[in-house]
Formats: sequence, structure tokens, C-alpha cells
Amino acid sequence: MNKNFNGKRASQSVMFFLFRLMSYMVVGILFCIIGFIVIRGLGVINWEFLTTAPEDGMTKGGIFPAIVGTFYLVVGSMLVAFPIGVMSGIYMSEYASNKHIKRVIRVMTNNLGGIPSIVFGLFGMALFVNKLKFGDSIIAGSFTLGLLALPLIIRVTEEALQAIPDSFRQGSLALGATKLQTIRKVVLPAAFPNIMTGLILSIGRVSGETAPILFTAAAYFLPNLPNSVFNQVMALPYHLYVIATSGTDLEATRPMAFGTALVLIIIVLLMNLIANFIRRKYSK
Amino acid sequence: MKHTETELLQIKNSISEMWVLVLSQLRNAKTALVTSDSDLARVVISLEKRVNAFELKIDSDCENYIALFSPVAIDLRLVLSILKINKTLERIGDFAEGIARFVLQTENMGTHEELLKLVRIDEMAGHVETMLEKTLNAFTEENSRQAGMVFSIDNEVDTIYRDDYELLAKYVVEHPADAFYVLLLATVLRKFERTGDHCNNLMEEIVFYLDAKVLKHQKKGKQE
Amino acid sequence: MKLEANNINFYYGDFQALKNINMTIEQNTVTAFIGPSGCGKSTFLRLFNRMNDLIPDTHLTGECLIGGQNIYDKNITVDELRKKVGMVFQKPNPFPKSIFENVAYGLRVNGVRDKKEIADTVEKSLRQAALWEEVKDKLKKSAYELSGGQQQRLCIARALAISPSVILMDEPASALDPISTSKIEELIFELKNSYTVVIVTHNMQQAARVSDKTGFFMLGELIEFDDTKKIFLNPQKEQTQNYITGRFG
Repeated sequence: MNKNFNGKRASQSVMFFLFRLMSYMVVGILFCIIGFIVIRGLGVINWEFLTTAPEDGMTKGGIFPAIVGTFYLVVGSMLVAFPIGVMSGIYMSEYASNKHIKRVIRVMTNNLGGIPSIVFGLFGMALFVNKLKFGDSIIAGSFTLGLLALPLIIRVTEEALQAIPDSFRQGSLALGATKLQTIRKVVLPAAFPNIMTGLILSIGRVSGETAPILFTAAAYFLPNLPNSVFNQVMALPYHLYVIATSGTDLEATRPMAFGTALVLIIIVLLMNLIANFIRRKYSK
Repeated sequence: MKHTETELLQIKNSISEMWVLVLSQLRNAKTALVTSDSDLARVVISLEKRVNAFELKIDSDCENYIALFSPVAIDLRLVLSILKINKTLERIGDFAEGIARFVLQTENMGTHEELLKLVRIDEMAGHVETMLEKTLNAFTEENSRQAGMVFSIDNEVDTIYRDDYELLAKYVVEHPADAFYVLLLATVLRKFERTGDHCNNLMEEIVFYLDAKVLKHQKKGKQE
Repeated sequence: MKLEANNINFYYGDFQALKNINMTIEQNTVTAFIGPSGCGKSTFLRLFNRMNDLIPDTHLTGECLIGGQNIYDKNITVDELRKKVGMVFQKPNPFPKSIFENVAYGLRVNGVRDKKEIADTVEKSLRQAALWEEVKDKLKKSAYELSGGQQQRLCIARALAISPSVILMDEPASALDPISTSKIEELIFELKNSYTVVIVTHNMQQAARVSDKTGFFMLGELIEFDDTKKIFLNPQKEQTQNYITGRFG
């Protein structure tokens, strides 16, 4: 019996060791990637890199138009996705009472989230660029990215609202508030930090996407900043792709590529940090 | 003040009122007795109904209080002691009425001032009144320090009562014509003596309420 | 206002939760509902501000009158009804807002804009709920900084602010410590001077202490409804006697 017991214990500790090893490995991989990018890219980053346009076949100068372009696309996509996403989330959480309809919508939203991003790009090109005649533009890219971010925002909103205890709703209704007043004045404010968290996470997601803007918004090189939503823009992820694969002198642009990658990673990590910060601040 | 306290205070006030009424009944009965005042005796008899009404009201108040507020600790002791005090006061009220009835019954038997003086009825009644008054004060002031005093007065009442029986026996032999009166007087004396005992019980209840001590069936007079 | 229930039957799906209940609750009294869990007392309470409407798949027959008017009538709007019939819940449920805003909420959603009126009503309600002295210096602080008992009194103040005529309480003290409980009970006793109060409670002593009338429910039926004194001293039904003496079951 004792032997048996020891055997059990041994297999337990082996498995436990394995689990721990795997989770440490994930952290290790993340650090490897970030470390690699930081070491290779840090040298390139300076004030000039962040504030000027690329020069000399992108071997010199900076990535300023790409940063601005990504900024425009992020803002645009959020303007599209946030209202639609939040309203759908509210509908799902507060209004939809038919279980079947709710399930259909939820399955569809999840499927939407599972569609490869390049398909979004293709769809965006067909609908926004060609059919609606937006052309390759900020607005077409924003709509396409917005669609991509939609499932995440809907789900986050719905979950944030579901997390609000029913006792708040009942308390408000019992005071003679209408359902809409209850949602606007009690439920939404209480869920706001979590919804914001979702918004910021989706900003992180959107700012790193290449495929959806490939056919809808991104330009190879533009010396000037856009002056209308119908202009094309440069964007960080696409710029990275360009200088990493199709420059005239790949060796010369390599450091620029790592610099761009570092900026992109910093933006995404920053967004995640802000999201965490907001969540922690309000969940106290 | 919380409404549960208010309710209890109301019961306490009722029992104090009843106490005052019974005390005045006892006083008037004694006065009627020593002054042969039939009118005053009739007043005492008619007021006995009020004493009974008090008893019924306080009983039902206490029942309701226990049913609704489930008192504990000092509140519980107070309600329990009020229930017993209520009954005791009603008894004393009955005695006062009985004494008043004696006055009416003996209205036409002539005056026996000598005899009344002989049995020290005035003194005995005075002691009993003092006892009842002291218990009332002890209750309203929530102070049991005079318990020993009450018990020792009762001892004096008992002494007088014991002596009185010998005196009455002699008196009957000397005045056989008054035998009936003497027999009736003996019951009156007995009522005063019993009232003294009841005052002792009242005091015991007060001590139970205030100090949670049980003094029943102990030797009295040795207190303090 | 007077509350009347005539031949009330209530169903959750196929389950009949209330069986032919008739009751009249007089103005400015405290009425307590007692009974074992699941006896329908809370369901019955929630009929009077139509909180049961929020539960899907329920069905009601019979009449429910407040001040002589059937509150399930077609031309009654639910939010207007709920302004007249305030409710306090089992667990304190203040909104994640400041103390002031919690009490002001009912006024704001009912269209009161005047700042002075709001401030005055908030103070009055907090005073009525015996909370003003404890919170007057921290009205801007979050309601969650208050203790459980204070939060519940805040919820009572919140309900009072819209001047209802009826206040329903669903086990208002069951989540509180004894001191807070006795404060709430004292408050309920005070409230009957201006409101008609109906309270559901698991605590029989509480029903005895605060109420004028008590209704005993069992398995969806109103077994006995009478003066609280009578229920606790001399109940007419054996079931009532068994329940309040703890011999039930």
C-alpha cells in the first residue's frame, strides 16, 4: 500500500512539474520575442525616426506617416465599431429575451470573430472600396477594421453588463425608473470600466492588423499626410511588411523594420497596460 | 427610546398607578375602621372594581409583551415580577375591601374604641401602610436597599398579631356579649397581618427584578 | 393607501405559487408576512409593485387594488405605480454612486431638476431613515463606504425620497447584524405614521416586534391573517401555532 502511495505521489509531482514548466515556457517565449525586437530595434528609435517620413527608398528617415495613419485607422474603426458593438451588447444583455434568437446572434458573432482577417480585407475591398466607391481610403479601412473588432466589443459589452448584479436593476426599476433610464443611469455607468477595457483591447488588436487594410486603405509610400477620409494612408503593420519584404535594399531597411516592429509592439502593450490599469482601478 | 422600551415603561407605569390606588384603598379602609366612617368604607368598596380592572389590564399587557417582544434578562425579570406583583396587589386590594366591609357589617354593633386601641390596630395598620409605601418607592426608584427594613417591620406586625390573639381571648371571656364582634375583628387583624406578608412578597419580587436574587423561603429580618 | 387582494392566483409556468389569496391591508399600518421558505410570501409582496412582471412566464388571476384601483389594469403604467409603491430589498443594494446621488436618483429619473428641491428632499429622506446624522458630512462619498446596516437605511431613504404611499420590504434586515437590525425595526415602526408598510420576514420575533397585523403563509396559501397580538398569543389555526412555536414539520 505504501509503495502504491509513493507511486501516486511521484506521478503527481511529475505532472505538476510539467504543468509548471509549460506555463513558464509561455512567459519565456513572450520575453524572447520582445527581447529580440527590443535589442534589434532600440538602436533605430530616436526623435527623428518617430517624426519624419521615410527617405531614400525607406533606408533612412522615419515612420511618422505610418504612425499617423495607424492612429487614423484606429480612431475610425472605433467610431464604427464602438456604437454598433455597444448597442448590440446592450440588446443582447438587457433586451433580448428569446433564448433562441440570443443563441443565434451569439453563434453568429463568435463566427464573425473566427473569420480570418484576410477575408475581412477581401470583403472590405468588395463592399467599401468597389461597391460603395470609397476607394482605397481611411474610411474603407476603418469600416473593415471596425467589422473585425465588432465581435470582441459585442462580447465584452455583453459580459460587462451581465456582470452588473440584477439587484441594481431591480433597485432602479422599483424607484419608478423606466428600463431605458435604468440602463443609461445605473447599468451602463457601472459597466463602463469593463466596456472601456474591451474597447482598448480591441484598439490593440486593430492597430496590429495588416490583412484587412491591405486592399482597403494602406499605401506603400506617401510622402504627405492624408487630408481627407477618402485618402489612402500608410499604416505601421503594413509598412513593416513592406520594408521587410519588398524594399529595394532589404539589408539597409532591416533595422528600420525592427524599429517599426518595436513601435508597434509598444503601442499594443501600452494599450493592454492601460486596459489592465482601468480594470484594476474600477474593480476595487 | 425604542418602542419596545416604551411599551415596557407603560406597563411599569400601570402597575405603579395600581400600587398607588391599592395604597390609598388600604389607608382609607384603616381610616374608616378607626373612625367608623361608613361612607368612606363604601368608597373603598366601590373602588375595588378599579383595582380589579387594573389587574386584568396588566395581565393582558404582560402576556402581549412576552408574546410580541420576547424579553430577556432584566426585561424578562421585570415582566415576570410585574405579573406576580399584579396578583399580590390585587390580593391586598381585596383585603382593603374586606376591612371596609367589616366597617359596614359592624355599623350597628356600637363603638369599641377601647378594644381597637387594646389590639394596637392603628399601629399595625400604620406598619403595613409603611411597608406598602416602601415597596412602591423601591419599585419606582429601582432601589432594593430598603428591603431589610420592610422585612423587619413585618416582624413587628407579626409580634403585634401574636399578642392580639391572647388579648382577644381574654376580652371575650370578660365581654361575652361582644363575642361576634371579636370574631370579626380577628379576621380584620388577620387581613392586616397577611397584607404585611404580601408586602414581603412584593419586596422579594423587586429584589428578584433588580438584583436577580431569590429571597423566598429564607429567614427574613437577618437581612442587613 | 389601502391595499386589497381579491382571489389572487399566481403561477410560475405550471407551478401555482399563490392560491386564492384574499387580504385587506389598512392604511398606516405595518403588516408582516411570515412563513417557511417558498411559501409565496415574497411573491405576494412583489405583486403590489409588479416586480413579478420582470420574471418571464408568469401568470396572474384575481384583483390587486391599491387605493381602490386595480394596479394590473391596462391603463396603469408600471413606472408610475412604482413611484407610489416603494420597495426595499433583502440585501442592501445601493447604486455605485455617492450617498447623495443614491437618494437623489429616484427624483432625477422622475424628472425633478430643481437643485434645491433635490437637496432638501435628500436631507429629509435621510433624516426620516435615521441616517442623516451619520452621513451628513460625507454625502459625496461612495455609498459603499457605509456599513451594511447604513446601506440598508440608505436604501430606505432612497425609497422614501420619491414620497411613496406604500413601502414594501422584502426581508430588509436578514443580512444585517443585530444592532443594525434593531435600528431598521425601530425605523419601520416609525414609518407607519406616514406610510403603509408591508414586510416579509423570516424572523418571527421581528414580525411580532414591528407589525400590527401578521399573515402566515404556507405552500402558497394564506393560512391565517389577524392582529399580530392574536397570532402570537392565540392563533386560530393549528398550522400557525406549529410554525410560530417551532414545531413545524
